[in-house]
Amino acid sequence: MNSITPNKRPATNEDTCGPYFPDPFCDADRMDLVEVHPGLVATARGTPIVIEGRLIDIDGNLGNGAVLEFWQPNDRGIYRTPAHADHPDIDPWFDGYARCRSKDGKFSLRTIKPGALADRAPNVTLTIFSDGISRLVTQIFLEGEAANASDPLLTSLPEPLRSRLIAKSTGANDRGEQVFSIDVVMAGNNETPFFDDLES
Amino acid sequence: MTGLGRLLSIGPTDNTSRERTPRQPLQLIPEGARESFVPYSRVQPALLSAEADMTRLAADLPRAAGEAIEVSGQLTDEFGRPLRGVLLEIWNANTFGRYTHKEDASGLPLDPNFLGLGRVLTDQDGKYRFLTIRPGAYLARPDIGRWRPKHIHMSVRGGSSRLVTQMYFANDPHNDGDPMRILMGDAFKHNVAGEYDAGQPDLAAGYRFDIVVGGRNATFFENDL
Ligand SMILES: [Fe+2]
Repeated sequence: MNSITPNKRPATNEDTCGPYFPDPFCDADRMDLVEVHPGLVATARGTPIVIEGRLIDIDGNLGNGAVLEFWQPNDRGIYRTPAHADHPDIDPWFDGYARCRSKDGKFSLRTIKPGALADRAPNVTLTIFSDGISRLVTQIFLEGEAANASDPLLTSLPEPLRSRLIAKSTGANDRGEQVFSIDVVMAGNNETPFFDDLES
Repeated sequence: MTGLGRLLSIGPTDNTSRERTPRQPLQLIPEGARESFVPYSRVQPALLSAEADMTRLAADLPRAAGEAIEVSGQLTDEFGRPLRGVLLEIWNANTFGRYTHKEDASGLPLDPNFLGLGRVLTDQDGKYRFLTIRPGAYLARPDIGRWRPKHIHMSVRGGSSRLVTQMYFANDPHNDGDPMRILMGDAFKHNVAGEYDAGQPDLAAGYRFDIVVGGRNATFFENDL
């Protein structure tokens, strides 16, 4: 026994989310990060966009019943974490965290176009909890961003995989907000690259 | 800069696991991008005290069918540091093995006194306690007779801590055939609660379930602590 090495406790195993994550738990969660509440003037700074997506399984079917979490910085690339609590570019009306349970495997996130710090391209982190699997994490990038070509995460992937993380622009909605669309393929052909946040 | 991480395993006899488990190894995250992978959940819901008692719909309403049990424990990171003010979302089947979720089409009996969902926040020592009904096991694969053992679902969220897990009961005859239990191997023991006497005549048993949130996401930001 080495008395200097801390005695690390073994981690509780992740497990599947099962098919029945209770929808009421998501009642206070948001999938619109632009407006704090439809009845309030509080609106996040920056350019509203919409990211639509579908979860696809190995058979090409929609992955129903998954819990999805989204995480992104504000329009100036600042994540709302304790490390940035006093940062002058914090947007008080923007938290950057969204969650939903998707009954049918589709999602639509209305948000602010994320800014990018340093060498990163604008991106949104996506976490998937679902029946059959433990947590999956990846990041969604936006078509048309020059910084995509040099983003350290995108460029760490073999070239053919990079486009699978880039949501395609599909035009504007009736509010004039740019809409992006992405298929997140959990398994099989055109499988989305997922990342290892335990061993990285 | 590139590299490959874990290759995830498919749970034996688990159809959804076959459908949804990535076949490619996970990609390693370049150091410069690591912090961006740690969501920080700052806002916690205001909870009602009744949410910690899943054994009845409200304090003045009848207790649900089956055995009422207490579950308690401590949330820590791997170094034993308590995770304070963290939200625990809990859901489990009723004593007959039925969830109240609309999508549970098992046809097993509902219990009008049991919703099967609760929420608690950990205290200053990372400790939590709630009451529920001991869930029933249920037949997950009728075609091959494979059951899900008794289990309680739990989701941990708060600060940079995030974990979705399940608590199991020792000596459940269905534990050994469970797909995720098989994948966990020896480590399954960390997801099995320890039984104790809850010390109240109306509680059949207490279960100690300490949750250790592992990996760098557990307490990525010092202010979490
Ligand atoms: Fe379950």
